[in-house]
Amino acid sequence: MITYNCTIQEGVIPEEQRRILNERLVQIGARVLGVAPDDISVNYEVIPHGFGFRGGELSTSSSVRSRIPDGFSQEKRVEFMQAVQDMWMEVTGQTTAELVVGAADASYNNYQN
Amino acid sequence: MPIYRFKVPSDSVPFEQREKIAVDVTDIHCGQTLAPRHFVHVYFDEQTEGGSEYPTRYYLDAINRAGRSKEVKDELLGKLLNAFVTHTGLSRDEISGRIGETPAAWAMEGGQVLPEPGQESAEWYAEVTAD
Repeated sequence: MITYNCTIQEGVIPEEQRRILNERLVQIGARVLGVAPDDISVNYEVIPHGFGFRGGELSTSSSVRSRIPDGFSQEKRVEFMQAVQDMWMEVTGQTTAELVVGAADASYNNYQN
Repeated sequence: MPIYRFKVPSDSVPFEQREKIAVDVTDIHCGQTLAPRHFVHVYFDEQTEGGSEYPTRYYLDAINRAGRSKEVKDELLGKLLNAFVTHTGLSRDEISGRIGETPAAWAMEGGQVLPEPGQESAEWYAEVTAD
């Protein structure tokens, strides 16, 4: 099971791009971590304009925080995060400065959901 | 990373206050840690009244890199909550919060896997502040 929780800023990523992101995130989970597509879910939270800040200024940033099965090596975790980052930038045009990617073990219990 | 989420009742914190709080949170976090300013994310989540899962009507739910001492985290949390009440005019007992943690190596920002707290190298700073 993989759960992606994506936080995006209102007006930054249009619906059409989100549909592509959904497909690609499922593909990455299956290809890199070997998780069945039916066991991968993607959730979005849209921060209204004026409610998200980065560095004290209005934010255009996105974050993709995922829960992945326990037991993967750090090397595999980084491969997964890198794949998510590269795909996200390709689809949205956002830069590395506008993106946070996380991959936490499913059993880890001190992580913000 | 870090990500600071203020849970607030709907229409209770106007934009001008949110902006000042976000600046203060950034200043406080960067004053106490070695994070670049643009790594500090502050969100305000408006909550509907009733049935709150939080112990107070206003709540700070934060996530930081793991590895800092309890004393450092407690001091940081206290300063952040004080900044919130300074700009909102609320009393200190109307807001509480917590700082959750995630291992640094489980996150990427600025195109790099995050270093452990205290392990930020000059090369890392140069890489993540290049944009």
